[in-house]
Amino acid sequence: MSKDILIIGGGISGITTAVEAAETGYNVTLIEKNPYLGGRVAQMNRYFPKLCPPYCGLEINIRRIKTNPRIKYFTLSSVEGIKGQEGNYEVTLRIQPRFVSQRCTACGECARVCPAERRDAFNLDLSSTKAIYLPHSLAVPYNYVIDEKACLKCGTCVDACKYGAIELEMQAETKNINVGSIVVATGWQPYDATRIDNLGFGKYKDVITNMMMERIAAPNGPTQGKILRPSDMSEPKKVAFVQCAGSRDENHLPYCSAVCCLASLKQITYLREAIPDSQAFMFYIDVRTPGKYEDFLTKVSGDEKVFLIKGKVAAVEEDTKTKELIVEAEDILAGKKIKVQVDMVVLACGMQPNNGLSMNINRDKNGFISLEQGNGIYAAGVAKKPQDVASSVQNATGTALKAIQSIVR
Amino acid sequence: MNIKPDLKFVKQIISAGGCSLKKCYQCATCAVVCKLSPDNKPFPRKEMINAQWGLKDKLVSDPDIWLCHQCSDCTAYCPRGAKPGEVIGAIRKLTIAHYAFPEFLAMMVGQIKYLPLLIAFPVLVLLAVLAATGHLNIPQGEIVFGHFLPHTHIDAIFLPVAIFAALVFASGVIRFWRDLQTQCSGNCGQGGLIPSLISVIIEILTHSRFNKCEVNKGRSLAHMGVLYGFIGLAITTALAVFYLYILGQHSPYPQLSPLKIIGNISGIILLVGISLIVLNRFKVKVQASIGSYFDWLFIGVIYLVVLSGLLAEVTRLAGIALLAYPIYFIHLVSVFFLFFYAPYSKLAHMVYRTIALVYAKQKERE
Repeated sequence: MSKDILIIGGGISGITTAVEAAETGYNVTLIEKNPYLGGRVAQMNRYFPKLCPPYCGLEINIRRIKTNPRIKYFTLSSVEGIKGQEGNYEVTLRIQPRFVSQRCTACGECARVCPAERRDAFNLDLSSTKAIYLPHSLAVPYNYVIDEKACLKCGTCVDACKYGAIELEMQAETKNINVGSIVVATGWQPYDATRIDNLGFGKYKDVITNMMMERIAAPNGPTQGKILRPSDMSEPKKVAFVQCAGSRDENHLPYCSAVCCLASLKQITYLREAIPDSQAFMFYIDVRTPGKYEDFLTKVSGDEKVFLIKGKVAAVEEDTKTKELIVEAEDILAGKKIKVQVDMVVLACGMQPNNGLSMNINRDKNGFISLEQGNGIYAAGVAKKPQDVASSVQNATGTALKAIQSIVR
Repeated sequence: MNIKPDLKFVKQIISAGGCSLKKCYQCATCAVVCKLSPDNKPFPRKEMINAQWGLKDKLVSDPDIWLCHQCSDCTAYCPRGAKPGEVIGAIRKLTIAHYAFPEFLAMMVGQIKYLPLLIAFPVLVLLAVLAATGHLNIPQGEIVFGHFLPHTHIDAIFLPVAIFAALVFASGVIRFWRDLQTQCSGNCGQGGLIPSLISVIIEILTHSRFNKCEVNKGRSLAHMGVLYGFIGLAITTALAVFYLYILGQHSPYPQLSPLKIIGNISGIILLVGISLIVLNRFKVKVQASIGSYFDWLFIGVIYLVVLSGLLAEVTRLAGIALLAYPIYFIHLVSVFFLFFYAPYSKLAHMVYRTIALVYAKQKERE
């Protein structure tokens, strides 16, 4: 029997579960498939509704992880196999090689000489990095990493590294651990907007997703926080926010992701703050800002350059001559079809649960992990249901207790 | 504004093929993806909410349900599977029933359980005429359909049938036109009646509206086949009257006479058209639906008319009297069925759609 807890996923939910369980006195192993902790929250520019940067919250948690000897964490790691039952799980972890050891000081000399490039998924492919790269400017661990697929194995970086931190021969390793309960906090990925064939994503450069907007607005993003549209790097003066882009839609994600309305309202504040003469048009079916979030809606919609239009955008097209984007919707309250010319379109795409987990787990028809597994395995955060950061954190705290109950029963 | 929900009408729409109607959550995707929907007061979003409330008066006099050609673009893009195209189709069916007189006949045409009764009527009428004139047998010798049922008898049966249908249509059209006038409040166009009618007829003949469909592209061509098949057969009938009463020539006519050539070509175009309609229905059933009984009854009757007509001709030419006369009898029954029940069946769309399009053209609802 084991009294340790495995937490799969090092985003805000997994981190919270780990910290809460460890501070209660249990040993925790936290694994994360990316080369950094923080998950989707690390990609955000600001939280709603307080509009503070996510690192306010992440930083303190990372500190709690680093200073707590009960927490072990592994990045670039995944579950290879699970055997056993509640109270006694034998878990095989697979840890991918980072090719860079902890001797790395993140001086960046390696990347300066590296000849190979890769698309930067952290920036939603809006920029690229070298094959050896720092995941992002606030990455934990603060070490470079090599993208095996992009690396040419030329060894230039090895010679450039003054600290002997680069080990191109590093191999993947497996590691067996024994735990009593498991928390799955595998989070989400943005819905693939190219699948929404009528909204122009992938066809027109200035049709972007809400996650791309976060990166564009983020100070450590591809534009250093300047809101510029991708096609010509100019400031967009008129931006359309298209709600329910592939959400609440049987042809795409049939559910509401619960955060996109607030995310768009939040992003409208980015735009309005950065470009004072800008206009924002938010097209919605219903604006969903439950509870105290209503105040945020009131605040943002009170701006006279913010236009909320009831009616889903069902077509985004480009004017063949002027190359301007035109969004089309029925303004339901006016009973008229309207075409609005804009400089940029932000699709409010929903959250799809990650499901690349190699273990048997009950999921609902949308891929979210069902509430009760009944075997010492619990889900936290968006792996369980679509929810915002604040709810995920509360949820993760509760899940930590469940995981503990599972091993002390 | 005082809105009275009519639950009975909601249920009628549901049973007429609009069973998905309550799924609509008014996002208006449909109104935007529809290529046929006007910018001002577009459809079908407003029709969906009117249908959910059962606002019968608003719906039956709504010209927009006839601007819809059921391309199914709306149904394909509908995020809720509410199938606006199907709902509007069901409302069209109920509109036809609403303006038909007597209404119980429309109700019977709409339900499969009355089909035997509906078929029995023309069968009995024709049998009675055959029996009364002593023709209840297979005539001997060369196959001449006139020996079986002389043209005078045919006229005596089918002329009243046609007049009946025309009168029922006339009463429906008068009420429909009157109700349409209540639709426009405020800023509507005021086009002339005749110019509007002419441009609608051109639109119908070229299928210029219908061609705008995206998801269900093949539908327009198939429908054109059926339309031109029927136009050709109408010309054939007019020619037959001319041959008989002006030239005094009796059928059968030589295969190469203009009448036979036009008749045969039209029959084949009709057969191809209706078959394409059936194929299309199976092809798009994923996005839309296969259609209701109301649709399939009409398709079935057209098949029966065209196949029995062509087969009667073939068996006659082949000299198989035992087949030719019974098939000819079936042909007469099916044509009787088509005409007599026209004001209650899907065929009525021809009349109501044309009227609604003329109104829409006048009011500049493009």
